[in-house]
Amino acid sequence: MNETSQDQNHTKSHRGVFIAVFVMLCALTGLSFWIANSHLMENRMVGWGAMMAVSVAKALLVILFFMHLWWERAWKYVLTIPALIMGVLLVMLLVPDVGFRTETYSKERWSHAPIPGADAVDPTAKHIALPNK
Amino acid sequence: MNSSASKTEPASHHDGEQAHGHIQLVYQPAVPVSKGKLAIWLFLSTEIMFFTALIGTYIVLRFGVPQGSWPTPHDVRIVEWLGALNTFVLICSSVTIVFAMEAAKHDLADNAKKWLFATFALGCVFLGIKAYEYNSKFSHGIHPGGPRSLLYDRADLHYLAAMKQSCDEQLAVLEKEKTAANQAVSAAPNSEQKSDSETDAHSAGSHSHDSEKLKNLVLIRDGMVMWTQKIVGRDDNPRMREIALESLAHQINPRGENERVDTHLASELEQVKTSLAELESELGDADKNVAELQKAIDALNAGEATEESKKQLEEKTALATDAAAESSRIGNLIAPLKARVAAMEMYASAKEEGINETFHLKLPMVIPSGNTWANTYFLLTGFHALHVLGGLVAFLVLMLKRLGAERAGVLENVGLYWHFVDIVWIFLFPLLYLF
Repeated sequence: MNETSQDQNHTKSHRGVFIAVFVMLCALTGLSFWIANSHLMENRMVGWGAMMAVSVAKALLVILFFMHLWWERAWKYVLTIPALIMGVLLVMLLVPDVGFRTETYSKERWSHAPIPGADAVDPTAKHIALPNK
Repeated sequence: MNSSASKTEPASHHDGEQAHGHIQLVYQPAVPVSKGKLAIWLFLSTEIMFFTALIGTYIVLRFGVPQGSWPTPHDVRIVEWLGALNTFVLICSSVTIVFAMEAAKHDLADNAKKWLFATFALGCVFLGIKAYEYNSKFSHGIHPGGPRSLLYDRADLHYLAAMKQSCDEQLAVLEKEKTAANQAVSAAPNSEQKSDSETDAHSAGSHSHDSEKLKNLVLIRDGMVMWTQKIVGRDDNPRMREIALESLAHQINPRGENERVDTHLASELEQVKTSLAELESELGDADKNVAELQKAIDALNAGEATEESKKQLEEKTALATDAAAESSRIGNLIAPLKARVAAMEMYASAKEEGINETFHLKLPMVIPSGNTWANTYFLLTGFHALHVLGGLVAFLVLMLKRLGAERAGVLENVGLYWHFVDIVWIFLFPLLYLF
C-alpha cells in the first residue's frame, strides 16, 4: 500500500465496519458471560482457556479496527511484537516459581495453606473431608 | 534504523556543491506516521508491558492457589453483571471515540464534539460503577490491607486472637458511649428541658441500636470467642480444636454450605443442652440444701442456746458454707453453657448470611486467599481506573477546542490511548469477575 492509497483509506469512512465490530464485541462479551455459567466450567482449565480466547479475539478486534492497525503498514510490528514478547516472557518466567508453587509444597507447608491439604484430598471438594473422630 | 537514508542525485549534487558548497539531502521518515502517532504508539508499547506484568502476575497467583481456596464472587461482593455492564459501557465509548475521530476527519467539528462528549460521559459512568463496586467492598471490610481490612486467610489462633481483640475494642467503645449517654440523660433535667422531639426520637433510636449491638457483641464474646478459646486451650483432640475454629469462622461469615460445621454445631448444642439440664438440676439440689441448712441455722439461733445447740450450729454453719461454695461452683459452670446456648440461638437467626452481615457487625472474617485477592483486585482495577481518569482529563481538554480536520490527528492519538484502556478491561473483566 503506498502513501496515497493509505491516505485514501484514512479519509474513507469505516462507519459500517465500526458498527459491525461493536456488535461482535457485545456478542463476545455475552459469550464469555455464558461460558462462565456453563458446563465448560466443570473443568476450570477449559472454561478459563475459552474465556481467555474470547478476550484475545475481542482485543484483536479493537486493535485491528478501532486502532486502525488493519489499515496501517508494517511499522506496527516494530512496536507491538517486542512489547508482547516481553509480556509473555514475563508470565512464562513467573510460572515455574509462583504458578506451580503448590506442586512442590511439603506436607508441613500444606498445613499452613489457607485450606490445609485442600488438594491432597478431593480436588473438587471445598472443604477437607475428615475421618470420623 | 537508517531509512532516513540520504538520497543524492549526481547531477544536481554536482551543481549544488558548486552553488552552495555542501551536499543537499532529502530526508524520509523512518516510520510512515506522524510524530504524535509514533509517540503514542511508543507510549502504548510501554503500557502493554506494564499491564501484562500486572495481569501476568495476577494470572500466575490465581492459577497457583490450591483448588477451593480462592474467594468466590459472593465472598468478596463481586457482582458479575456489573462487570459485564462496565464492559458494555467501555465498548460503547470505544465506538463513540472512533465516531468523533471520523467526524473530525470530515471537518464536522460539532459532530466530533458531540461524540467526544458521549465518550466522556460513558467514561464517567464507568468510574461511577467502579466507585459503587469499591464502596460495596469497603463497607464489608474488604480492603487491600492496612488497619481497616477484616480479612483473615485461615481459621487459626491468630484469627481467634483477632476476634477477641475486636470484640473487646468494640465493646469498650460502646460501653464508653453508653456511660456518656447515661450521664447526659441524668444531667439533662438540670439543664434546659426543652429539646426537639425529633432529636429525641433519633437519639433514642441510635441508643437502642447501640444497646442491641452491645448485647450481641457480649453474646459473641462469651458464647463464641471465649467458648472456642476454651476448646482450643483445653481439648486434646486436634480435630476438635480445628473444627471449633472453623465453626467460629463459619458463624461469623459463612462461605456457602458447610455440612461438617453444621453437624458439629448441632451435636455440640445437644451436648451443651444435656449438660446444662444436669447442672441446673444439681444447682437446684444445692440451692435446696443451702436453704434447708439456713432454715436449720435460723431455728437453732431462735432456740435456747445450749451446749448441744451450739455444737449443732457450728456444724450446720460449716455445712452451709460448703453447700454455698458448691452452689456457686455449679453456677460458674452453668454460665458459659448458658452463654453458648444463647449465642447459638442468636446464630440460628443468622444462619443464612452469617453474624457479620445479619447484625451489621464488623468482626474479622475468614476468606481463604482473601488478602491476595484484595491486593490484586484493587491494584489491577485501581491502575485501570487511573488510566480511565487520565483519558477523561484528555477529553475534557479537547472539548474546549474546535475539533475540525486540524485536530483529527490529536483525536486519533487520544482515541488510540482510550482503546488501549478498553483492551485492558477486556482482559480484566473475565479474570476478575468470571474466573
